[in-house]
Amino acid sequence: MSQFEPKIVAFVCNWCTYAGADLAGTSRAKYASNVRIIRFPCTGRIDFMLLMKAFQNGTDGIIVSGCHPNDCHYTSGNFHARRRWMVFRSLIDFMGFDTERITFSWVSAAEGAKWADLVNEVTEKVRALGPFTEFKNIDYNSFNQLDNGAIAK
Amino acid sequence: MEQLQNKVAELLEKGTISLMIGFQTGLCNDPVPCFIESASQISQLIYNSHCKHNLAVYLHKPEVKQAKKVGIFGNIATLRSILQLLSENQLWDLELTIITINASQELIVFDSIASVEQYIQTNFPELTDEEKELIEKINAMSRQERWTYWKDLFSTCIKCYACRAVCPMCYCTQCTVECNQPQWIKVSSETSGNFEWHTMRAMHLAGRCINCGECGRICPVGIPVHLLTAKMNLDIKKEFGARSGISSSNGYALNTFNPNDKDGFIK
Repeated sequence: MSQFEPKIVAFVCNWCTYAGADLAGTSRAKYASNVRIIRFPCTGRIDFMLLMKAFQNGTDGIIVSGCHPNDCHYTSGNFHARRRWMVFRSLIDFMGFDTERITFSWVSAAEGAKWADLVNEVTEKVRALGPFTEFKNIDYNSFNQLDNGAIAK
Repeated sequence: MEQLQNKVAELLEKGTISLMIGFQTGLCNDPVPCFIESASQISQLIYNSHCKHNLAVYLHKPEVKQAKKVGIFGNIATLRSILQLLSENQLWDLELTIITINASQELIVFDSIASVEQYIQTNFPELTDEEKELIEKINAMSRQERWTYWKDLFSTCIKCYACRAVCPMCYCTQCTVECNQPQWIKVSSETSGNFEWHTMRAMHLAGRCINCGECGRICPVGIPVHLLTAKMNLDIKKEFGARSGISSSNGYALNTFNPNDKDGFIK
């Protein structure tokens, strides 16, 4: 059987991480091809519902990345995002989501090598965790449980 | 009680208020909200220790907005909601007269918002023991157990949105849940959509929720949804030192930032 290849979605900001990923490309750094990069104007735009949707549509891991603090193109987008992520992370942890599957990071436009390392690292981590089926199959499973319960009665 | 009725009669007569939102006796002696517009209705008005519902939710209703000069009976939850709503600039079109009865059964008619703030400072409610216990119980579970716990609860959710209807902080005229382009949240009450709905509701209330617990109390299938926002409030207090519903000018935790916020979880 072939090795499990995780699907990773990266939500990145246009000004730092996207440029950083570009630099990784132009410097011909090799990194895992599991990542699908989605470009946003700013980390402040990355709504938590997008992460939920990504999970529901079958991603196994998520990277959220943007400018380092104080480097935001819009001055304070990443500061606001940082607070939101912190609250979001603690909320989904409380609800029992696997927070290991979401990696938050700061990658600047000059850190092409850091980006390549980050993607490799996350890919390996998610590969070890295995496919994320908990959320994807939740309706199917709860339907089956209901069905079995009805039959048992 | 008589004191309260007399005061409201006086305010109505003077024209300080044209509508009073308070409590009356409902089925099985449970207090239910009542809306008093004339002196003949005043005898309905009651107050007892069961009057815990959050009346601030009615301040968004067009019928109440029309009355303009509104008197409201404020228990602690209502008072905190009013402060939070003021800080979000939601009550600018109302002339509010806020009345409360304090722990030693004295009637207070607040003369300014500053005095409401002061009152909240000295009477700040903590989470109930029951809520604290449940949160600790859930915190102590393994991740898998937490997932199963919430999954089992959310699979019973019928998406009636009572938790939204009862919440004074849910005042958007169009909710994300009704948005269908894109369809953020599944319309049917499937467990995954229920998860999304409750995550979204909690996130949109993060740092704004004042822990009145109405959403959990109103839930027809008994999901303790108020724990999600209560837990977030605890975290927000711990991490950012911010509290909702204590001031009419503070805004809320996620609307602001501190450059020195901790970011240990970010690589």
